[in-house]
Order: sequence, then C-alpha cells, then structure tokens
Amino acid sequence: MDEELEELTLLETLDHLLDRGVVVAGDAVISIGDVDLLYLGLNIVLANVDAIIRTGRK
Amino acid sequence: MKSVIIGAHLRRDDIEPLADVLPAGDLFLSGLPVADDQPLGDRELLLRVAKVRAALLDRATFIAIRYGFAAGSAQEAAAKCAMHLDRWLGLLEQHRDEVEMTLKVVAPERVARPDRHDFSSGGDYLKALHAATNAVDVDPEFRTAAEEAIGKGRWLHRDQASLELAALVSRDAVERVRAAGGELKRRFPRIPFLLSGPWPLEVFADAL
Repeated sequence: MDEELEELTLLETLDHLLDRGVVVAGDAVISIGDVDLLYLGLNIVLANVDAIIRTGRK
Repeated sequence: MKSVIIGAHLRRDDIEPLADVLPAGDLFLSGLPVADDQPLGDRELLLRVAKVRAALLDRATFIAIRYGFAAGSAQEAAAKCAMHLDRWLGLLEQHRDEVEMTLKVVAPERVARPDRHDFSSGGDYLKALHAATNAVDVDPEFRTAAEEAIGKGRWLHRDQASLELAALVSRDAVERVRAAGGELKRRFPRIPFLLSGPWPLEVFADAL
C-alpha cells in the first residue's frame, strides 16, 4: 500500500476509535482525566483532513 | 486487571476467542484485558484495540463503544451499559447484516475557529464554536452524488474543515460502494474526500 494512503488509513481508523461510538455512562475519554488522549484525538481529526487533501492532490 | 470495552454484540461467539466476553443482559460486551495501571492513552494499546475491533467486525456487526470505557468486572461493565441494552438489542437484530461506511469531505474553505478571548462567557463561546462547525458546507452537486454513491445517511459536522456522510450499507454491497466511491473521485477530481469502512454501528448506534 502507498505510504501516504497507509498513513491515512491508520489516521481514519484511530479517528473512528476515539471519536465514534456510544459514550457509556459519562465514561467518555475526557472523564478518564487523560488530557493527552483528548489532544491526540483532536490532532488525529486535523491530521486526517490534511492527509485527505494531500492524497487527493496526487 | 481491567477490560477496555470495545463493543456490544448479539452473540457470544461473535467475540470469542478474539476478545474477552462480558455478559450484559441479553447481550455480550467485548473487552480487551489490560493491567490496572495501563494508561489508556498508550499508542500500542490503541493500535491493539483498533486491530481487535476490525477483527470483531469481520465476524459480525456490533455496537461500537467509544474508546476510553474500561471496567474492573463484567458486573461493572453491564451496570454502566444497562440503560442502553434494550435499544442496542433492537438495533443489532435489525442491522446485523449491515455495516457503516463514511465519506469524509474536505470543505472548500475552512471556517475560522472562534477565539475564546472574543467572548465574555463560555456558553457564548461554545455556541459560536458550534455555529462555526455547522457553517461548513460542500458543493450541493457533490452532496447529491455522494448520497447516490453510498446511500442517504446522516451528514455530520465534525470540525471547521470537513463534513461527513455516514450510511448503513449491506455487507454484500461494500465492494459496490467502494467502486461508486472511485467513480465519484473521477467525477469530482477537485474535491478531496475519503470513503472509508466498513465500520461497526457507530453513528447509527444512536436511535435511528
């Protein structure tokens, strides 16, 4: 698989893991007190969009 | 040990031996056992969970539980999910042969993110943030073509730079939808988008 496409697929997978699905009983990512994880989630969303743009230009 | 909960499944054998089974009412939760002191933000753990999640979806459609929910016992996990179980059971029975696919489209222009310093209250700032996210839009012609390609699903505003269409697709139709995505790319070469999936019930884990 093309390296850039592979990166995009990984970002998309992590984006879905961190930002989709049911939040159970207020046990959201935020409530585990792990600010880094939330930050990671935001970064993935932004990087994902940038990666889509880069891949789309090829 | 604690379990990082991955999803809710209709049958026990949808899970075993890929992950631990935690019974919850008439359903079964999948969990990945980790040490109590294992930080959930660990990159290797994230990747392991992502891998197991994908393998579970190969078996059968399940309700995706957002990463970050960990429980010390099956009883604790079941108790925290109790209010959802009846609805999840109905959704899983109804959509067992379907998966989600998403089409993320980059907006032509990134909407400026509001500056917190411009607002006297946090509430006003959040409203402005929400409005900015919802202001993102894509070419109406592309929007229609995207719905024709993957189906009329739900359009979601996720950030100030992109929109996402999520749709339920029959497992038999995944390859056809991918081909339709390729055709969409040829028809709209200037619009960057990513068609991805299959995914478990994520967006549609909410009531339809």
